[in-house]
Amino acid sequence: MTTSPSTEAVVAPGDVTPAPALEVVGLTVTFPAVGRRGTDVVALRDVDLRVAAGEFVAVVGPSGCGKSTLLRVLAGLTPAGATVDARAVTTPVDASGARATAWMPQRDGLLPWRRAWSNALVGARIAGVDRAVADARARALFDAFGLAGFERAWPHELSGGMRQRLALLRTCLPGRPVLLLDEPFGALDAITRRRMNGWLAGLDLAGHGRPDGAGRAVVLVTHDVDEALLLADRVVVLSDRPGRVVLDLRVPRGDPTAARQVLLEALDPQGGTSASGGA
Amino acid sequence: MRRWRRLFAPTVAGLVLLVGWEVGVRASGLPAFVLPAPSQVARTAVDVAPLLGGHVVTTLTEAGLGLLVGAVVGLLLAVLIAAFPWVQDTVYPLVTLTQTVPTVVLAPLLILWAGFGLLPKVVLVALTAFFPVLVAAVTAMAAVDAEHAEMVAGLGGTRRHQFWLVQLPASVPGALGGLRVAATYAIGAAVVAEYLAGQSGLGVLVQRSRKGYAVDQILVAVVLVAVLTGLLFLLVDGLARLATPWQRPSTPSRPGRTPA
Ligand SMILES: Nc1ncnc2c1ncn2[C@@H]1O[C@H](COP(=O)(O)OP(=O)(O)OP(=O)(O)O)[C@@H](O)[C@H]1O
Ligand SMILES: [Mg+2]
Repeated sequence: MTTSPSTEAVVAPGDVTPAPALEVVGLTVTFPAVGRRGTDVVALRDVDLRVAAGEFVAVVGPSGCGKSTLLRVLAGLTPAGATVDARAVTTPVDASGARATAWMPQRDGLLPWRRAWSNALVGARIAGVDRAVADARARALFDAFGLAGFERAWPHELSGGMRQRLALLRTCLPGRPVLLLDEPFGALDAITRRRMNGWLAGLDLAGHGRPDGAGRAVVLVTHDVDEALLLADRVVVLSDRPGRVVLDLRVPRGDPTAARQVLLEALDPQGGTSASGGA
Repeated sequence: MRRWRRLFAPTVAGLVLLVGWEVGVRASGLPAFVLPAPSQVARTAVDVAPLLGGHVVTTLTEAGLGLLVGAVVGLLLAVLIAAFPWVQDTVYPLVTLTQTVPTVVLAPLLILWAGFGLLPKVVLVALTAFFPVLVAAVTAMAAVDAEHAEMVAGLGGTRRHQFWLVQLPASVPGALGGLRVAATYAIGAAVVAEYLAGQSGLGVLVQRSRKGYAVDQILVAVVLVAVLTGLLFLLVDGLARLATPWQRPSTPSRPGRTPA
């Protein structure tokens, strides 16, 4: 626990935090050495993370620091061969006792043999959502996600941005209480990503406007500080590999300039303060 | 331009071959029971045309039914293999072993057991057809894109979901590829079975012609087998395209010339 004092300091009992929807305590993930002479790769070391319902948390950190690995563990997708060690991993379960998280991969994972519409319904089908309910939700979401008119398109007929939006739609549609998004727009060009982020901010995935407890817990992995500040209530910064939590910052309402500076310093302690843009 | 060349070049090559054959036979004076000239084969084809219909229908029925049965059995076995690892361990080696026995050796046994009718021929065609379908489908199911499997798992999918949402649909293009291969064997397998025992079919025609030294009739049958195999392949290929509408046209976009 010595490595995460900031977690303790910022998310203290003083805050009005309801019981976390999602919680990991003391998570360490180790990959076996590649090749005969290598040493084991410690991807994450002693990471704590708590996310409440209705809270949007961004995880930022340099490339290879274990962000995707953290999200996979939360989604129950431990990579084969990896050793996962944690004091607690708590995720919500649905009525049948199955894990009720929805994970969106870094690449879209769309099934090429399904049209856009039925790709969108994959998550609902897995979650056992009634077909009529799922269809109604899909109709509303296709409009909200700017995909109306492309219901019958094959995935390869969609642009990169549309594919990512469709993948996000598929993840949101089942109405799971936890969304785990791994760089949803990481593969897009800067201008498109900026536009997508503006749109995503307006979407209110976590459901801030809802009465207490009705919202969703959202964890977004990114390496773009501005994206994190725009979308999240809280930003968690991981260090270089092995990833440790070095900062857990509540995003202030209003001007984010000061918060941005703090984040950049946490991301790049030696590099001075002249860094601009992403990590 | 390319299309035109693809059609034109083989046609010319074929014509040159035929003319050479005709000239060669006439110049050397080979007897017709050794090698008839193509013009004579054509004349024979016209003469026996009324008889051919029945034979062609028989052979096509056997090949079509056998192909269908083979495809269904192959796909079912592939599904079982994908669903239950122990089926893979026990059945797959045995099935592979059956393929080391040539059809010509199996045919007499089948005729002995199932008689001279349609059944042994259909079984023989099915036996040759199911293997390429099985292998292609099993390979496709084993090589499922990890990205898709993870996506399903990340949404809470169980093994059943993996199977219905990812494995089975992912195997379809592969299985259809196997079916294309099987289609090229089907007519041949049916003809071999007919040749050994039967009352009707192109194999029976060949057998009767051989007894009468009617080499021209044998050649007519040979041409028919080739044409029917080609047609069957085109049919299966067309059906396969219809069944996989998500697949991009196989010709990749070529670097185009910008108009001057
Ligand atoms: N399947 C695996 N086998 C072995 N090592 C792995 C595996 N997956 C990840 N790693 C190791 O774990 C580390 C963290 O990987 P991870 O994908 O979580 O990084 P990341 O923070 O998501 O990076 P990026 O921002 O580039 O996506 C990497 O340095 C990598 O070496
Ligand atoms: Mg990653």
